Amino acid sequence: MKGILVLACRLFVGGIFIYASLDKLGHPQAFAVAISHYRIVPYPLLHFFAHLLPVVEIVTGSALVLGIGRRGAALLAAAMTVVFMAAITSALIRNLDISCGCFNTDGGHAVGIDLLWRDGILLLLCLPPLLARNPGFGLDRLFRK
Amino acid sequence: MLSAPSSSPAPAGTWWPASLREAGLLLLVAVLVTGVSWILRSDGLPLTADSTGYELELAAPLIGTEQALELFAEGEYLFVDARSAVETGEATIPGAFLIRAETFDDDLLGYFDFMGPEDHFILFGDGNLLPVSDVAARLMERGYDNVFILKGGLTAWRTAGGEISHRTGDES
Repeated sequence: MKGILVLACRLFVGGIFIYASLDKLGHPQAFAVAISHYRIVPYPLLHFFAHLLPVVEIVTGSALVLGIGRRGAALLAAAMTVVFMAAITSALIRNLDISCGCFNTDGGHAVGIDLLWRDGILLLLCLPPLLARNPGFGLDRLFRK
Repeated sequence: MLSAPSSSPAPAGTWWPASLREAGLLLLVAVLVTGVSWILRSDGLPLTADSTGYELELAAPLIGTEQALELFAEGEYLFVDARSAVETGEATIPGAFLIRAETFDDDLLGYFDFMGPEDHFILFGDGNLLPVSDVAARLMERGYDNVFILKGGLTAWRTAGGEISHRTGDES
């Protein structure tokens, strides 16, 4: 039963991260603009982050879905979610009227409290794959002796 | 491959280093993939961005120092010092009101008798337009429609030969 819960969380969180990366991978320029709206990342690093972040998302998401390096992937997913929540909170505090750039680089969802709730739930779903001992059917098993 | 080569569960408290190692490996894979994809994509963005490609969406229009100097001489415009950390004795534009984003409401209330929405304002900072734009946005929210931002801030004002005074303690 625990294995099924871990598997379900892995597939859900991994799927979300993979989906979130797709549009950004195709439109790095638009994603760089979306990042710039947060006014957090220094300009010289904007393109670097616009290139790197979607790849980290798809690698993390794929690792979670396939069950490779499950705990590391869950840790990375949780860390990214915390960073996203901090960025959203910072934008809310500064009253920035911007779109979040979470899934869609072309406009998309405006930054708001609801995004914090959504990311909070995502963060909770990272916990079972991170903490559980039962990996819940993953490719990790193939590499074990 | 990325997990510990054991079928038995790791004892509680010992999995953190392994998890961090796995996370580090995944991050390394992502960095390598990013590097390779960046090299292979002919239409790729340059790795470092130029700030001019990301024009800030300022809340108020910019005004050049030359025009600001003329308006200052005419005395029709009120100047607002929107820098966050302004200490006593620090250089500023003579007669400038001190309105900071952090203490916006208190600062504005303090000048209630001296300024109104019908007045014209030139806001200035010093290098960073964002806090100035934030102050401009909040003034405009309160009905102060005639708001401009000094391009280049106090440094540009000084360079253009603008008059400078030193802030006294009673203004902040």
